[in-house]
Amino acid sequence: MGLNNMKKASFNIYLLISALLFGFAITIVFKANLSFEGIVTIQKLVEMEKEIKNSTIENNNLVKSNLEVLERVKEYENGRENTGSVLNPMKKELKGMQMIAGLKPTSGPGIIIVLNDSDQEAGVNDNLDWFLIHDIDVLEVVNELRASGAEEISINDERVMPNTSIRCGGPTILIDGKRHATPYVIKAIGDPKALEASVLAPDSYIDLLEYNGIRVSVQKVEKLVINPYIGPDKQKYLKMVEDGETK
Amino acid sequence: MIVSLGGLILGIVLGFLLPVKLPVEFSQYMSVAVLAALDSVFGGIRTNIEKTFDINIFISGFFGNAILAALLTYLGDKLGVPMYYAAIFAFGVRLFQNFAIIRRYIISSLKKND
Repeated sequence: MGLNNMKKASFNIYLLISALLFGFAITIVFKANLSFEGIVTIQKLVEMEKEIKNSTIENNNLVKSNLEVLERVKEYENGRENTGSVLNPMKKELKGMQMIAGLKPTSGPGIIIVLNDSDQEAGVNDNLDWFLIHDIDVLEVVNELRASGAEEISINDERVMPNTSIRCGGPTILIDGKRHATPYVIKAIGDPKALEASVLAPDSYIDLLEYNGIRVSVQKVEKLVINPYIGPDKQKYLKMVEDGETK
Repeated sequence: MIVSLGGLILGIVLGFLLPVKLPVEFSQYMSVAVLAALDSVFGGIRTNIEKTFDINIFISGFFGNAILAALLTYLGDKLGVPMYYAAIFAFGVRLFQNFAIIRRYIISSLKKND
């Protein structure tokens, strides 16, 4: 009788413990109120991380621009308190705008790139096009500079504006309709180290140009001056959209 | 039967009363483990009806399956492969099978009583 009873008792205890655990676990899971959005694979995780990072950067930028706007408001208020008008801060702002718009000479640290046609002797089967600088080469270099944070660029002292065109003009290139020949001196204001690094990076456009013997010199400068835009006013059709106007 | 039901109710009550919160990282493992345990419970009920219930097999299956399922899910997470589908599939199929067998036993016993 003793052995049988003991067996029965341990049997019940095991059953009790497992049932207890089971009920406990189920309740915990229910209480957690889970909602699965599919499985989170590593790929998804990386994407999410990227998204979060981008959002954080965007958020930071917004905060920065908000601070700038607040700063401006404060300047206006200071001006009004000191001189009774917002004229002085506005004048300062106008100067800044003119600088950004390319109407004033600007200076700053940057790099100077000089591009010159190749002086290698071309073989019989070589394509001569590879040995000359084309409009597209200059465009690519300008684009690369912009991608690495160039703030102001000029080509042969021709200010590169947002609407500047760089086109082929036979053996020369046309920048905003003005003819320019080699050597092309490209000046860019920005972080000299960053600009130089991106321009001289392996597989950068300039690196490819150098393969064909095109003479490239890149020089970091403490201070360079970029001339203002000289030329006709290009905005003929442009108009400000009035408030409330939709189309 | 009474013991297990009592244990179940006691467990549920404890789960509600104790301030235990499941961390989100473990929720998936817990869910799969519960599924595995549920499979063992149905298996236990079936074997009980068949009078072949063995407490050792039940206990080892109950804990072993739950732990294995959770480990499998963990491994799948590390490998980037949804391994816990395997656990869901295996236990799900067995669960329904066991339930079907239990149903047949119950219906046939009801018919006998008629």
